[in-house]
Amino acid sequence: MSEHDQSQPNVSRPYDGVRVLELAEGISGPYAGRWLAALGADVVKVERTTGDPSRAFGPWPDDLPDDETSGLFLYLNGDKRSVTLNLDTSDGREILHELAASADIVIESFEPGYLVDRGLGYDALSKDNTPLVMISITPFGQTGPNANLPATELTLYAACGQMWLTGHPDRPPLKNGGSQPSYQAGLNAFAAISGAYYGAVMHEQGSYIDLSMRETYAAMAEAFHTRASQLGIETQRSGNNLNALWGVYELADGYGGICALPRNYPAFAEAVGLPELQEDRFADPGQRLLNNDELMAIMFGWFIGQTREELLQLGIENRVPFGFVATMEDLTNSEHLHSRDFFAELHDDRAGSLTYPGRLWLSNGHDWKMGRAPLLGEHNVDVIHGELGYEREDLVRLRELDAI
Amino acid sequence: MFDPGRPLTGVRVADLTMIWAGPYAAKILADQGAEVIKIESPRAWDNIRTLLPPPVAPGEHWWNTNFYFHEYSRNKKSLSLDLASDDGKAIFAKLLGHCDVVIENYRTDVMDNLGLSYEWLREQKEDIIVVGMAGFGKTGPEKDAVGYGPIIEMMSGMTSTSGYGDDGVPYKSGISYGDPIAGVCAAAAAATALIHRKRTGQGQYIDLAQREVMSTLLGEFYMDWSMNQRLPEHTGNGHDWMAPHNVYPCAGEDEWIAICVRTDGEWEGLKRAMGSPEWAERTEFSDQILRWEHRQELDELVSAWTSTMSKTDVFDALHLEQVPSSPVWKMLEALQEPHIKARGFYEPLRHPEVGIWAVHGWLWRTDGAGPCILAPAPEFGQHNAEVLGGLLGMSYEERSALEAAGIIASRPEGVPLASEMPATPSML
Repeated sequence: MSEHDQSQPNVSRPYDGVRVLELAEGISGPYAGRWLAALGADVVKVERTTGDPSRAFGPWPDDLPDDETSGLFLYLNGDKRSVTLNLDTSDGREILHELAASADIVIESFEPGYLVDRGLGYDALSKDNTPLVMISITPFGQTGPNANLPATELTLYAACGQMWLTGHPDRPPLKNGGSQPSYQAGLNAFAAISGAYYGAVMHEQGSYIDLSMRETYAAMAEAFHTRASQLGIETQRSGNNLNALWGVYELADGYGGICALPRNYPAFAEAVGLPELQEDRFADPGQRLLNNDELMAIMFGWFIGQTREELLQLGIENRVPFGFVATMEDLTNSEHLHSRDFFAELHDDRAGSLTYPGRLWLSNGHDWKMGRAPLLGEHNVDVIHGELGYEREDLVRLRELDAI
Repeated sequence: MFDPGRPLTGVRVADLTMIWAGPYAAKILADQGAEVIKIESPRAWDNIRTLLPPPVAPGEHWWNTNFYFHEYSRNKKSLSLDLASDDGKAIFAKLLGHCDVVIENYRTDVMDNLGLSYEWLREQKEDIIVVGMAGFGKTGPEKDAVGYGPIIEMMSGMTSTSGYGDDGVPYKSGISYGDPIAGVCAAAAAATALIHRKRTGQGQYIDLAQREVMSTLLGEFYMDWSMNQRLPEHTGNGHDWMAPHNVYPCAGEDEWIAICVRTDGEWEGLKRAMGSPEWAERTEFSDQILRWEHRQELDELVSAWTSTMSKTDVFDALHLEQVPSSPVWKMLEALQEPHIKARGFYEPLRHPEVGIWAVHGWLWRTDGAGPCILAPAPEFGQHNAEVLGGLLGMSYEERSALEAAGIIASRPEGVPLASEMPATPSML
């Protein structure tokens, strides 16, 4: 059964009626497509006949690999429709052309040149569809000497500069957890698409966007690149503690910390309550930096006596930027997040009960769909037969030709 | 003429954001062509202007010059206006009539305390789009918690996923990662709301919690908890099934290269790049599972190769063989490395008091777009006359009276010129 939103009276979502063609695999493109789907778009996910490779990545329930229960895939593909197409066959390419004719947005993440070589580049797809917005998401962009260099999350961390800044100064540079280069690129792609689609709606003129994961990630390196370019100064990584009031400390029951700017100091000193914090050598912003080691020693001693929840509450009561290192367990059980309807709570027949982030923001103007991800090729009949008008016998032939 | 790089041309944004997350969002809107009017009070300016005292911030008017402020506020206009005063608020009300979007990243309670609630904003402009970016959102038991990027990172679950693995310590990222993530999302939210307004005629209020946005980047970890009640292990720079997968030391001090091998074909490429050493033919390195099981020994052997060479020489050898790899670029290098230079990612920024330096240009490239950087970050109150006089039609006399009353200003109140200041250490 299709979960495609047919017509829900009284619900208006920003992308209702918008057709998105998702030719993207893995994390970045599907992450962007996921939010468009949750905001009402009809996202047709075009998968290779063996499926998006993310179906072959865990986690799986009870560690039993199954292409239909990959946690990563289920998270990234809610509310989409799945169609399989083999773009190395002429029939597959023809069907893609037909789908693109009615698309408003195309998201793709093939290696640079892949679609153009198959006659499926932006010029070809937008020829009779000038308002089409198309985005290509690749590790290094469509041009430049590294454009076709294979990349992994780790090599992208290294290339963009984030890795140099992360980790203990006396140890090797360290990556962040998970797949941040891909996720952040997906979020940037979502922003790029929404801006470009607004332009397309206003001017009936589409655009083609080349997004490089390395570049969107480099732009996030705070001001450290521009510190280097304006002042010619290199930045060393500072581990968990940039200074005494900016970092991660061990607590009585885990880890937590503080990130305070000079203007937060009075409230901080008041909340902590140690008399020496009122002395000029710490209370004066300039002297504080000169006495940083001493202050940090005091803070190590103070934090180890706090529990995570006490620290958070102390921060809330005194408006001090305290927080703790929350785990997936803490978050899944968070009263605060549940009160804000942050989670999708889905019972999947195969994967069991799942709780995961189901939206980006709250709005008084629209809600978010939080439906399930499609099975591989689940909507081949709906789309290729129902919408494009291929006969059922054609479907048989297409399958036998390995086109779908 | 439609400029495909600036699809938000014609959109006007009242930008009340400060520090980083909010300004990052408004930067994206400005780059995309929106007219972003950055509003700061003569007594409560964007703190990032003065976070880095001279000589780190060059020039006499140092509140206009530091690299940090310019990173997030290029292409914007500056209006200094005291929103806490009745006169300032009345002017803001008039300005709202000409705006499409209001964006703010204050603590949860600040807008209401200033009398700038959503209801009030809507009274001034019925279809206004308001994006509020409080760290923890505007509702819920933790709404009054405050935090900058690393706190957001900790509270979102991100920090729990990262660490060397041998010491049990979770590591934050080296940047305030929570901020730009929230900023990108807020820019997407504003554009999405503009689409919605175009289609329905209605504005909306967006309550965007920075912590929640960051938490959406951890989907597989949430799923593992739901499915298996398992928390992520710290694996340093290792991987679940790839080996080699690490950073390896190169010749020189603190020089590193990241290398990953995903397939047997890439392993063959790595072997050729290393000059086909005998040890690489050993049985325990003959397939991917075996290599993963012997990854520690493999890391030592690969390190022995990399440590005699410069990271760029190692990279060149691996690039030739199409093995995923990259030098761990330092900041000064990342600005200059051949690929990024060929792409023209960094563009020159010219400032009358500082000169020229490089900042990143387009976050993404749109075919047919011109240069991204059209103007440096504005001087404090630089566009007072343009906005108040040009847009709102206020006379020179009216504006002078406002300046005399301290409602508007061309300089943050009480901030001395650089030459009048004692030497002060800087956070960065």
